[in-house]
Amino acid sequence: MKCNAAIAYMHDYLDGELPREQTAELQHHLAECAGCRNRLDSLEKTDALLRSAPKPESAPDYLAYRIMKSLPKSRNAKTWTTWVRRHPALSAAAMFLVIMVSSFVAMWNQSQELTVSGDLDHVVIRGNTVIVPAGQQVAGDLTIENGTAQVEGDVQGNLTIIDGNVTLASTAHIAGKIKTIDRAVDWAWYKVTSWFDTIAYGS
Amino acid sequence: MKPIETRLARLARKGDQRAFAEIVDLYKDKLYHLAYRMMNNRQEAEDIVQECFLRVYKHLDRYDENQKFSTWIYRIATNLCIDRLRKRKPTYSLDAESSEHEGLDGYAMMPSDDRTPESEMLLSETQRIIREAIETLPPKYKSVIVLRYLQDMSLQEISEVMGMPVTTVKTRVHRGREYMRKKLENKL
Repeated sequence: MKCNAAIAYMHDYLDGELPREQTAELQHHLAECAGCRNRLDSLEKTDALLRSAPKPESAPDYLAYRIMKSLPKSRNAKTWTTWVRRHPALSAAAMFLVIMVSSFVAMWNQSQELTVSGDLDHVVIRGNTVIVPAGQQVAGDLTIENGTAQVEGDVQGNLTIIDGNVTLASTAHIAGKIKTIDRAVDWAWYKVTSWFDTIAYGS
Repeated sequence: MKPIETRLARLARKGDQRAFAEIVDLYKDKLYHLAYRMMNNRQEAEDIVQECFLRVYKHLDRYDENQKFSTWIYRIATNLCIDRLRKRKPTYSLDAESSEHEGLDGYAMMPSDDRTPESEMLLSETQRIIREAIETLPPKYKSVIVLRYLQDMSLQEISEVMGMPVTTVKTRVHRGREYMRKKLENKL
């Protein structure tokens, strides 16, 4: 047995973890190696000294008081941050909803001005009123946002009025459907479908 | 039946301050011993014990009841000590004379801690030497030596507290013991 191996055995022996067989091997080596006998002797002394190291005094009396004083008032285990940490999916969904609603409201408030799309050559715009004069023919669809439609002539497509109303004269003729949208949900639905229409047909 | 600390921890988690006070009472001395041995300074030991309980209090929700409470609390305290010891760097040898302060070594420059309790007035020369030798151990050996010899923990318990394999703990105990042997050999 080499001295290096013997030293490793000594430490295991001091840890109380050296199997019987190896202990015998170590004993055998110690019998013939004075250096290792000294080494084990001094390691054992170190071990004993460490065990005898004085236990320090107890914690000062005021420490427990100081600790209890330093604790935050409430453990507030149920603050919203812990809730967020525990329900990441719901938190994300709630966040998404908040953003959707707020942007929706923002968009809703933005479009207060009159917007007309369709065949503009045959209509007359007066203030917030869009007039299709008698005898005029509007080719295709006519869409009016935030305004009033006053139809006296022909519309050859659909007439859509968003947030407004429509007045039809007896001379009016509308080939397609008349749609009046004045609720947010309908408006959103209209936006979505027209967006899909744009994608599907291009316009 | 769960051990008493686990039940106390559960009560404290629900906001029972008296239950937490009992936990403090059960562990303050043990942690103070650990911290004092690691830091060799009363003020720092007190700070570490306080910080440790504060963390325990804040993170009671994260305490896993399958684990021994003592392992958990010792781990927090040991980590705090090791962090502090590492932050003390750059380490200057206490025995080296400072160039700025002629004739003063590191010991003289440390804030003096004159609250020497009676129990320590009686410290023998041998005990003082042992303590000083422990003080000079590098943090990674110091923690295992302190847990092993002053807290009487088994290698297995140390491995759980330190979150490292038993084989690593063993190696560190062996190296720490050799280090101590060299330190003590020529002094005693």
